[in-house]
Amino acid sequence: MGCPASVGPELIVKYFSNPSQFPENTEIVVLGDIGVLKKCCKEMQSSLYPVCWTEDGKPYDTAIPVIPVSQLDTAKLQWGSPSIETGKAMAQYITEGVRLIKEGILQGITTCPISKNSLNEAGYHFPGHTEMLAHLTASKDYGMMMAGSKLKVTLATIHCALEEVPALLSRERIYSAIKMTWSCLHHDFGIASPKLAVAALNPHGGENGIFGNQETTIIGPAIEQARSEGLDIYGPFPPDTVFYKCSRGDFDGVVCMYHDQGLIPFKLLHFSDGVNVTMGLSIVRTSVDHGTAYDIAGQFIADQNSLVEAVRMASTIISNRQKQNT
Amino acid sequence: MSTNKPVLAVTMGDPAGIGPEIIVKALQDAKLYDICTPVVIADVDVMKNAVSAIVHSDAVINVVNEPRDAKGTVGTIDIFPLEGLGLDGFKLGQLDPRCGNAAFQSVKTAIELALAGRVDGTVTAPLNKEAIHLAGHHYDGHTEIYAKLTNSRQYSMMLADGNLRVAHVTTHIPLVKVSETISVERILDVIRLGHNACRNLKIKAPRIAVAGLNPHAGENGIFGTEEQTIIGPAVEKAREEGIDAQGPFPPDTVFCKAAGGGFDLVVAMYHDQGHIPLKILSFIYDDATNTWSGMTGVNVTLGLPIIRSSVDHGTAFENAGKNVASEQSMINAIEYAAMLASGEE
Repeated sequence: MGCPASVGPELIVKYFSNPSQFPENTEIVVLGDIGVLKKCCKEMQSSLYPVCWTEDGKPYDTAIPVIPVSQLDTAKLQWGSPSIETGKAMAQYITEGVRLIKEGILQGITTCPISKNSLNEAGYHFPGHTEMLAHLTASKDYGMMMAGSKLKVTLATIHCALEEVPALLSRERIYSAIKMTWSCLHHDFGIASPKLAVAALNPHGGENGIFGNQETTIIGPAIEQARSEGLDIYGPFPPDTVFYKCSRGDFDGVVCMYHDQGLIPFKLLHFSDGVNVTMGLSIVRTSVDHGTAYDIAGQFIADQNSLVEAVRMASTIISNRQKQNT
Repeated sequence: MSTNKPVLAVTMGDPAGIGPEIIVKALQDAKLYDICTPVVIADVDVMKNAVSAIVHSDAVINVVNEPRDAKGTVGTIDIFPLEGLGLDGFKLGQLDPRCGNAAFQSVKTAIELALAGRVDGTVTAPLNKEAIHLAGHHYDGHTEIYAKLTNSRQYSMMLADGNLRVAHVTTHIPLVKVSETISVERILDVIRLGHNACRNLKIKAPRIAVAGLNPHAGENGIFGTEEQTIIGPAVEKAREEGIDAQGPFPPDTVFCKAAGGGFDLVVAMYHDQGHIPLKILSFIYDDATNTWSGMTGVNVTLGLPIIRSSVDHGTAFENAGKNVASEQSMINAIEYAAMLASGEE
């Protein structure tokens, strides 16, 4: 459910309002708070009502099946105003989700947005969702893929100052990003032999060293290393045209050197339906690719498209992984 | 002369590239002649070849020795002739110093005509950097030629496509140098240049968004401090001058907002920050054939004493002479120069 004071509850109500949005052969259960969802349904004048989920497999029709992880005092809950209590609750949705996956009761998790500040104030000292999930599943090599129908991007560096990017990049790091991206497309998206583009770091790909040389010293060798293993990897490409080449179908994904290099084109092409997939985790996890949107929480104007696509993608990944295991 | 249509010098670009072809195609568009009089600064034989052998057009070539004497009607291609270029036997699609020199002379002549007031603005077709270097003209590109020949110091590259306009604080430098290159003064200059360009495009109160440098615009200093120490103060100063500048905004969403009409111009901190979103939006996708059929973007140099717009693509040597190049970017570039020339006070 994400942060109870965010747009999370509203997105869930909107999601269950339209069963045509559900992926096939998948049962969707909310890790959340029945009281909060009731309040949300009421204020949205929805005829849906949240109920406690049971494992009997019966359809829910107009009910929202919930695993009631928290019981917040809804009189105190104000949309857009997170508290210590809401912070603790949203962290528990994650820990409970991971526990139920480990027990084999659930097969994957899709996460609604949380607030990093709120997470820290509640005593969970992680930079974000992903790091917390990695900790809970003891995963070491993990990364993010931003995925949509037109474009899939992954990042060799993520949350750091732009100035630090060149120093953080290394042949090993880029090689590892290439491998993880390849593996995710192969296993999770069921692409037999993924074809990947790697973006350059500098304008025009450095233009033969005039605008920087990481293309020849680091990025090129990382690509060569991956190619020597038989992987179908190309680049480094000038960053300003590689994304359109990928979106027209030349490649299955682009490995990017820094956050905004990947996120700028991704958000332009998938503003409302982008999905965040965590690569390298033992569990299946997708996420909406937007934040808590506290500024519009309670206005019930948030777009549920990203959640719809995130759940659909989780379902696809689960089924692709199951196919490979049988 | 405000009742008259502006006269625009259009350079031919590298004769071995797609420049002459897209000029001939663009000048078949009648609506351009409603807003301007384009005059091509070119070798006459190169243009004749483009008309008859490449585009197979029935356009008539009209050579003029003074741009303002141009006929300015669709169906006629007015040419201000360049002579003595020695282009005999050059081959389409091949790197040739004579072609590099011809492209350079075309640009130089256009600039001189504009500085002398004999044209009201200039539009450039693509040149090949290597060819002009081989010809002994050592410039990184058009922008540097314009800066040098017009003695300009404060200029900025603006890319535009529809509602999205992006002015760049830095361009052709390694990514690692961006942080040390940006300054309050430079950002303020680019905000002013962008504001003035929008005013010339008849936007009365331009809304300028300034992008951050770092992910999430630094997230309160966690991922870099340039937003607080450099970009924020530049935005403040611009606001004190009465410019409606806002930001710094997280780079990954500011272009979506601007493309959706939320801002008239975005100030980008580095080359790819501005080029990536512009190029994503400006490639034309043809749903009927599932192919990318061309590009629509325009490149405008802000801060020059003369008007200069340009196509947003290169010489495409591989397609030269095949009559497959899209003229859309050239049409847009001519329209842009015409709008800017009409809007200048």
